[in-house]
Amino acid sequence: MVGILSYGAYIPTWRLSRDEIAKASGIPIVMPGERAVAAWDEDSLTMATEAGFDCLNAIDPEEIDGIFFSSTTSPFKEKQTSSIIASALDLRKDVLTSDFTNSLRAGTIAVKAAMDAIEAGTSRKILVVSADCRVATPASIYEQIFADGAAALLIGENGVAEIENFYTVRDAIPGPWRRDVDEYPREFEPKLDVKYGFMKDLPEAISGLMKKSNLTPKDISKIAFYAPDPRTYLGSPQLLGVEMEKIQDPLFVNVGITGTPHCLLLLVSALETANPNERILCASYGDGSDAFIVKTTDKIEEIRGKRRGVSAHVGSSKTLPRYEKYADFRRIRETAWPKWSKVAHVMYWRDEKSILPLYGMKCKNCGTLSYPIGRCCIVCGARDNYEEVKLARRGKIFTYTLDYLVGPGNTEGDGINPGVRAVIDLEDGCRMFLEVVDCEPTEVHIDMPVELTFRLLNERSDFKHYGWRARPVRA
Amino acid sequence: MGGIKDKVAIIGTGVTKFGEIWEKDAEDLLVEATYEACKEANVDLKKDIEAVWCGTFYTFSGVAGTSFSDPLKLFGKPVTRVENYCATGMDAVRNAAYAVASGVYDIVLACGVEKILDQGSRGLPGIESMFPDPTLSIASAPAMFALAANRAFKEWGWTKEDLARVAVKNHSNGARHPKAHFRREVTIEQVMNAPIIAYPLGLFDCCAMSDGSAAVVLTRPEIAKKYVGDKYATIKASGMAVETLFPWFRPTETFLSFPATAKAAEAAYKEAGIKDLRKEIDFGIVHDCFTITELIDYQDMKLCKPGEGAALIKDGVTAIDGDFPINPDGGLKCFGHPIGATGCRMIVELTRQVLGKAEGLQVKDAEMGFAHNLGGPFSVGTVTIVGRP
Repeated sequence: MVGILSYGAYIPTWRLSRDEIAKASGIPIVMPGERAVAAWDEDSLTMATEAGFDCLNAIDPEEIDGIFFSSTTSPFKEKQTSSIIASALDLRKDVLTSDFTNSLRAGTIAVKAAMDAIEAGTSRKILVVSADCRVATPASIYEQIFADGAAALLIGENGVAEIENFYTVRDAIPGPWRRDVDEYPREFEPKLDVKYGFMKDLPEAISGLMKKSNLTPKDISKIAFYAPDPRTYLGSPQLLGVEMEKIQDPLFVNVGITGTPHCLLLLVSALETANPNERILCASYGDGSDAFIVKTTDKIEEIRGKRRGVSAHVGSSKTLPRYEKYADFRRIRETAWPKWSKVAHVMYWRDEKSILPLYGMKCKNCGTLSYPIGRCCIVCGARDNYEEVKLARRGKIFTYTLDYLVGPGNTEGDGINPGVRAVIDLEDGCRMFLEVVDCEPTEVHIDMPVELTFRLLNERSDFKHYGWRARPVRA
Repeated sequence: MGGIKDKVAIIGTGVTKFGEIWEKDAEDLLVEATYEACKEANVDLKKDIEAVWCGTFYTFSGVAGTSFSDPLKLFGKPVTRVENYCATGMDAVRNAAYAVASGVYDIVLACGVEKILDQGSRGLPGIESMFPDPTLSIASAPAMFALAANRAFKEWGWTKEDLARVAVKNHSNGARHPKAHFRREVTIEQVMNAPIIAYPLGLFDCCAMSDGSAAVVLTRPEIAKKYVGDKYATIKASGMAVETLFPWFRPTETFLSFPATAKAAEAAYKEAGIKDLRKEIDFGIVHDCFTITELIDYQDMKLCKPGEGAALIKDGVTAIDGDFPINPDGGLKCFGHPIGATGCRMIVELTRQVLGKAEGLQVKDAEMGFAHNLGGPFSVGTVTIVGRP
């Protein structure tokens, strides 16, 4: 039966307390706690990639037949995100790539499309990655509610959980929207949206699903679903006719509401602690509602603790000291970002294998492993005598500096200065030179263990160049 | 392998005031340095100079020999534009020296010029365009050398105070040089407490972005006498080695030694026949773009063993009145670093010292000295030895 083979998640390192947001906006806190904030060099593409890595831990990328990305915040209006992620994950060239966009419901739609492809027998394993980095209108209440994050599910047969049934409801209710010229999501009448949208569509999808599956709420151990705000979560047991214990923790206190990936993120969270033979209901909302039922198998225990998932990402965070740092990260206030000189995009295309899936060269003459790939060995100079090798993702700092002069930002207070630059020895012996992110400059030291993280490097020549940086090892 | 020991004479030197020279452009500076050098050499630019090597890194009148021909309106002669990162100036002299040593030309001019301030930047202007790969990390120049400083701190226990001694010494010398950018002494405390530019390097650990130009007139010794009598110096050796722009990707890189310097020094000492460096050579000029660089230079130039650089300056050996004065002119620390000009200015300083013309900061009994010019992230090493004929 079609189901979930593996799961993964990504929640960025940084948190901003709602007290700080309230202080900056003058709007009282909607609920105590903090929200997750993507770093200045993260977006939906990089976060989905990170979740994909978490999900594919110890799984051969060659086995993946398709990758479906879903988001309302794709980094490009014209350019496919899933094909870049596929390259970073080192998937096969004949993998089916597809982006599901424009609706907060896109994540569950992607799950359905993956299920259908598996059931039809045209694919064996499809990776569904979902991420959002929704920037709320400054000084609106949504700055406290929105959060950034990603989830990943590997869909296939005979997995850690079966997907028993799926039900969908469409709705043309205006909801929140963002035109192609808008920077921030625009607000539909929130009360109307909740009352005639969310409170109608979600129960309709769930009851339709239950009826189709011949199940009652008693058969369900957890419900993992998206709701637009914390208040709606509080009223949901009544709405759905279940006890509060059955509502999967919406992660509002320590993460916030992540948008498209949110119900999948909560599903991952539920799967992390689920026992075999538990039924978890997952439901999305956005232009209608989708609901599906997942039933765990005995294999759920084999995967436990082998993914960072939600728990480890929640457990390893750092706090942004001020709202202004968030404003710099999301570029909603003017800062002195440098004007990068032009570069040839052709370089990014030509060297894709060494840039995105990160391959280095191993010299067959002297054995040196080095980066980037060149015709001649950096140590012995042997010409055209090497093999391309995928590089290790962990290492330690050989030497470093805190660079106040050259970086993505050039002024004190832009949230990213000084730039930490480190010479790193990867575990496989390859010498790298990378920027170190998600860390306080004072914590950096020689011999510090680091791991690689996939990031937006720069926007030289008005293109988004993605690649690798390093960060302190997360829990 | 042949050499150029005593085959090339330096008969004229010219150098402008270095500093923030907003009111002058590259043309002004180049004209000043060139005419000063020609005047000292008693040669006529248009009549006597047969070929020119002009070192300059940024572009102000073409990426070509026109960098020199247009400002000087010296048309119809062979002019080569030289670029080799921060070692550009010394490489211009090196190429010019080989041209006269070969006998193809009798009298040539080597010069360097840079108008960095006009480029408008904190730090080296447009450094990202030197690293055109959009996916490889970029570091500022101080950050490149800070990688070495942190490694030296870890490996040898060097401290910020050890670095500060370099700034204090060089500022003390430069304060007496009329053409230096900074003519003010500094204290250990000032240096150590200055704002950080690239940890652990602070403001006073870094040389400044400055404008300036320098020029030398070269010929062969037998011709030199006709123009300047015995007032000329000769080149004893010229060593050079080019490594990599990406030392941070090389697994063998220790960041405790700059192989380009060590190899250039070895070649130069061999060419000059130097057996006992501290006895046979009287002083040196090293590329102190950052304080850490000078300490590592001591070691790579073989003035002391690895790890002993900090002790060498602490013991006063490299002070202007020490056993082996280093940077009696004040170095890049006081002159700043107009990329193309620096290496050429070093040759000017060497020449004036060995001819006893370094007023106010003359090294006692200076008969022979070396100069070391380093480019890029320790990518290009050049060493020139100059002495009395």
